[in-house]
Amino acid sequence: MLQLFHNANYDIMGKMKVAFILSALIIGAGLVSLVARGGPRWSIDFTGGSVLQVVIQPTPGTAEVRRIIAGAGFRDAQVQDFGSPQEFLITLPGVESGGTSAANQAEAALRAALPQAQVELRREEKVGPKIGGELKTAALNSVLAACFLVVGYLSVRFIFRYGVAALLATLHDVIITLGVFSLLNKEISLSIVAAFLTIIGYSLNDTIVVFDRIRENMRLRRREGYREVLNRSINETLSRTVLTAGTTLLTAFTLWLLGGPVIHDFAFCMTFGVLTGTFSSIFIASPLLLLWHERAARGERRRAQPAM
Amino acid sequence: MNRTQQIRFGLTAALTLLSIYLLIPTFRAAGISQADRAAAASDPDAKARIDGIDARAIRRGLDLQGGMYLVLEVEQEGMTGDQAQDALRRVREIITNRVDQFGVSEPVIQTQGNSRIIVQLPGLQDPERAKSLIGRTARLEFRLVRALEEIPGVVARLDEAFRAAGAARGDTSALASAPLASGEPADPGAAASDLPQLPTPVDRDEDAQYVRDHPFSAYVSQDEDFARMYGTPLYSEEGDVARVESLLQQPAARVLGTALEFQYDTEALTYGALRVRPLYLLNATPSLTGDRLTNARSAPDPERPGGWQVEMTLDRRGAREFARVTGENVGRNLAITLDGRVASAPNIRTKIPSGKASISGSFTNVEAADLALLLRAGALPANVRIEEERTVGPGLGRDSIRLGVRAGLIGAALVVLFMIIYYRFSGVIAVVGLIVNLLILMAALAQFGLTLTLPGIAGIVLTVGMAVDANVLINERIREELRKNKTVRAAVDSGFNNAMRTILDANITTLITGIILLWFGTGPIKGFAVTLSIGICTTVFVALVLNRAIMESLARDPARTTLSI
Repeated sequence: MLQLFHNANYDIMGKMKVAFILSALIIGAGLVSLVARGGPRWSIDFTGGSVLQVVIQPTPGTAEVRRIIAGAGFRDAQVQDFGSPQEFLITLPGVESGGTSAANQAEAALRAALPQAQVELRREEKVGPKIGGELKTAALNSVLAACFLVVGYLSVRFIFRYGVAALLATLHDVIITLGVFSLLNKEISLSIVAAFLTIIGYSLNDTIVVFDRIRENMRLRRREGYREVLNRSINETLSRTVLTAGTTLLTAFTLWLLGGPVIHDFAFCMTFGVLTGTFSSIFIASPLLLLWHERAARGERRRAQPAM
Repeated sequence: MNRTQQIRFGLTAALTLLSIYLLIPTFRAAGISQADRAAAASDPDAKARIDGIDARAIRRGLDLQGGMYLVLEVEQEGMTGDQAQDALRRVREIITNRVDQFGVSEPVIQTQGNSRIIVQLPGLQDPERAKSLIGRTARLEFRLVRALEEIPGVVARLDEAFRAAGAARGDTSALASAPLASGEPADPGAAASDLPQLPTPVDRDEDAQYVRDHPFSAYVSQDEDFARMYGTPLYSEEGDVARVESLLQQPAARVLGTALEFQYDTEALTYGALRVRPLYLLNATPSLTGDRLTNARSAPDPERPGGWQVEMTLDRRGAREFARVTGENVGRNLAITLDGRVASAPNIRTKIPSGKASISGSFTNVEAADLALLLRAGALPANVRIEEERTVGPGLGRDSIRLGVRAGLIGAALVVLFMIIYYRFSGVIAVVGLIVNLLILMAALAQFGLTLTLPGIAGIVLTVGMAVDANVLINERIREELRKNKTVRAAVDSGFNNAMRTILDANITTLITGIILLWFGTGPIKGFAVTLSIGICTTVFVALVLNRAIMESLARDPARTTLSI
């Protein structure tokens, strides 16, 4: 029989400091990047603008495409290859200029500058600034609503403290991933927001499995200290946590590697989110419970003293 | 096998068979080749058969089959609540009408909120053409062209008004400093103008001074020769059109009064060395509008071989009105305008009693047919603006399916392999559950007419992960119980009982996020949320009903002392 972590007995609570410092470092780096870049790099889904995905045969190279697009008057345009050397993603910040759309002008400029090449328009997206603003609000609202409802559910199923600890661990994952996206200068688009919500779901899921075991062990082992119960619960669920993370990573990673350029960033976000989600449910969520518990216990002792 | 287990097996078997039945059209649709589909376009029977299959197959999102997604904003400024709602409803009807005539299979046209319309056109070949058909207001009007003698006076009045407005604001530069777009003055020889409106500037200062003195006519030329050819002496260079139109929006332009209106031609023409657009001075009140149209069709233009025109038929009242206007104004020009631009301005040679009129411009076959379609479907009661547009070419859609499905299959295969190696026979049971899970999920998509998108495929891949998690939770728990030296039967029982609580808690929290995504989400988010939410439900069902039934019926065998887990 194959068995990971047979009779695991790691002192997870003892590693709390190391884990917190590691997290703080990554979050810090992300925050520095976020501040330096003036916030996340929102895609045209949120800022308004156009995206063109074109295939040009034979390929003129990214630099040449960039030159042509800039020459057509789009100085703020971004050009990057997309999946293959023939395929380009052109991002234009403005939507309309004059009667024809910016995207049409850019496409026409490419065709005019490369008369001997075949230019195939594979995808075109335009979002007006008004809708972009609304999508941003909707995205933020959905993240907030998800957080609050989940904490509400956990407060009912467990107690409020568990809900808050699970939420903090999850926010930790969202912030880390947001920071990593900023460090890698990746865009936050609508589908990335969906990926973030999935991370929220996954990370909570993972945390709940541990919390569930804590609740069970609290009932079964009343004589053990809180710290020991937490350690025991994490260890008992460790093989499940790692197995599930492993299989989910397997699928997310395959999507990242083979799913094609359109869902590339989405799958990256998921892959990274599973990693940090697993980390946080082991090293962040339960230690937070312990800190809260110890603090509350100290408070009770202080309150109890005058009466003695 | 006890009663509960019989129910569990029966339920799963029934659901699985139903799912397979519901998925038959999807498999058949996937089997129809591109060539067969192309051939069916000309064969009504085959097309009906394929459409019938497609209607019951899983609907693929625009990102997977190519197509266009538009969000239109209906401009409702100045309308009361009821008027705005009415306008929205009518815009939707007219756009539906246009799309139906355009001939796209399975279009979706729906209103969103109070001012928006969402149009989804799958498998579209020519997005630009579809966009111009959907977004155009198509307001048709007949307006008399004013007499040529009026024009110099009107232009002079406008120059004076703009000069005064500029002086009053103290920044004549606001109008004048804007550089002439084309920069170069008209070539006097080519323009053959006996009324040179643009003097050959000696230097830029003189040029700027001229623009200051003639804020309007600096951009609008008057030319008798031009009038003889095109029916109006006024024209602007192509680069100045937008500027003149914005000038005419300014308060100072009110000196025109309420009876007059300037409109440009729909198209530019080459005059001498320049691309210019004729500008017409028209009656502000239309003599007749497109409401009075009963039919419109495209036909070859008898006066221009190879050219096309649009022939219109007016209703009885319209015909009477048209006869009166043409009868009273023989010799004058009648402009036919579309959305504030002059499509043509023919000379009225005789009274027209028949109620038939035609628009001839430099139309191609397709342009004339499209215009006729627009006129038949009617004008939009309000202008619309395209606020969001997502177009995916059919090639990209095919690639996305290929890559997405391949990645999904490879990911799933790896997971299956892992489960069987790690949990042996219990892993096989988990894989059986996984297959049933995906069958029910796909059947639900087909049955409820939900759309499968690329993010939706990602949601299915995630479901595979969640389903495996449920099995991992159960199996790890059973192993734990076995380690406590419980019997197989007791271990399976308490394993399931303990894992069930965790599985429910874990999946309900994920379901909460899934439902929120459904609620707030648009486009890509929604597609993901749909498969994720259904996937959670099927996962819980399969884990707690099917897997449990199989494991328990194994465990109930009294001879069994070990479990392959």
